[in-house]
Amino acid sequence: MLDAIGCTEMSAMLRGAAAQIRDNHELLGKLDSVGGDGDHGITMVRAMSHLEKAVDAASGKDLKSLLHDVGWGILGVDGGATGPLLGMFFMGMSEAAEDIETLDALGLTDAFEAGLAGVRAQTKAQPGDKTMVDALVPAVMAAGCAAEDGGDLLSVLRDAANAAAAGAAATKDMQARFGRARNIKELSIGTPDAGATSVSLIFAGFLKGVEANG
Amino acid sequence: MAMKKLVNKPENLVQELLEGFALANPGKVALEGSNLVVRTTPKLKDKVALVTLGGAGHEPAMSGFVGEGMLDISVPGEIFAAPGPPRVVEALRAANRDAGVLLIVLNHAGDVMSANLAMGMAKKEGLNVKQVLTHEDISGGPRSNPDERRGLVGCLPVIKVAGAAAEQGRSLDECLAIAERMEANMATLALAVSGATHPSTGDVIATIADGEMVVGMGQHGEAGGGTQSLKSADETTDIMLAALLEDLQVKAGDELFVVLNGVGSTTLMELYLVLRRAGQILESKGIKMARTLVGEFLTVQEMGGFQMCIGRLDDELKALWDAPCNSPALTVK
Repeated sequence: MLDAIGCTEMSAMLRGAAAQIRDNHELLGKLDSVGGDGDHGITMVRAMSHLEKAVDAASGKDLKSLLHDVGWGILGVDGGATGPLLGMFFMGMSEAAEDIETLDALGLTDAFEAGLAGVRAQTKAQPGDKTMVDALVPAVMAAGCAAEDGGDLLSVLRDAANAAAAGAAATKDMQARFGRARNIKELSIGTPDAGATSVSLIFAGFLKGVEANG
Repeated sequence: MAMKKLVNKPENLVQELLEGFALANPGKVALEGSNLVVRTTPKLKDKVALVTLGGAGHEPAMSGFVGEGMLDISVPGEIFAAPGPPRVVEALRAANRDAGVLLIVLNHAGDVMSANLAMGMAKKEGLNVKQVLTHEDISGGPRSNPDERRGLVGCLPVIKVAGAAAEQGRSLDECLAIAERMEANMATLALAVSGATHPSTGDVIATIADGEMVVGMGQHGEAGGGTQSLKSADETTDIMLAALLEDLQVKAGDELFVVLNGVGSTTLMELYLVLRRAGQILESKGIKMARTLVGEFLTVQEMGGFQMCIGRLDDELKALWDAPCNSPALTVK
């Protein structure tokens, strides 16, 4: 039974996300090669090794520092827009964890919402523009709904992962309006967005991480 | 098309190219800290410093513009990918001085995000930093919608005039105003005739069919006309220059610079043909081709094509253009 997310559980979630990205990085590269330059897979793998390095170094630290160090590590990945967007997700989560030792279901959704705010401060991309926002917004909303309905942490993470996956899948039929993929106009239709797919893998990894840990 | 490039391990590509770049330019540039490219002879601290950031793989840009009369520090990213904010902040700290620091940013999503985050952190630390954004690619959208316009080779004239102003001891606000005036008076259009491959992934970056060329990105069928049949040097110049003159509202009597930037496999020979034709057109319209620059400044691997950048010069900008500079990619004596 998972009733609180402290540093140990958050570390498991983060490692779960890294494992999911690593297992699927070739797919990410392939998706990106349609509208981008095919480097999203290797960029995400680099981002995840920065994430893991931060998790390794954070033992004994509090939740806020753990998330801050992960965010800062990802910001330093030198991977174009991916670093700032994903990095600011974790930096945002970190701010929500100020003076908090463990997160319950509502606390976790607050942290996700703060992470989303961190991302949205960096980009004007809206849902429907075929970016990572298309997976992130439904994931955070689903987490919020589950928590408000009294769901436990596992159901919050499960609903978030499902919504992120559905959001990423829905980008297949969208035309890109942001990033390099917008240059190919309607040719971007038919391939899911690489960034949204990464976000769905991260949320799937969060769930797998705590399940494996439990 | 299989990639045919002389590279070693992809993950070491940027590190190795920077080491070679520094060796190729002794007495001009060196690597410092986390691979910041700096001048070997630092500028005096009472003068404004210029910093930029940008992905690698576009050599000699952007680090080739580091030098006396140009940039103080360049923050190279990964291949075609902007550096993250931590290294940009490191550069702003390294360049910090009472006179202030001007950060020059090309309008691409990753660069802008990193720059904005880094500027926020630098200001929080009390650093005296200001930013200028270059977005002069007319194919992205109308002049009224600068967010849609990418920054292309126009960064070079901006760096040149702002760098000269900084070297003369002008204030941060003056350097910023000069950079913004140059930026507002420029227009660039890119031509692509053949594609290129990503040097790390081997992926094809752009595919252009035999017998075709692409003028501008053509995203909304605007300036340049997008994909069309391959034309002669003269006809291509006619199309591109007409779009640029229209966008910039150039009038008879104006004085322009013309920068022709080969992006990879297009030869200097071709660029000279283009410049010749541009000179004929401008002369016929009573517009003065006051300054020219032809060469490879901002490349996209082995892509074929070039960027044509024009800019309106006044007496002050001309003087700054002519001021001495000494960088790997541009030297004025």
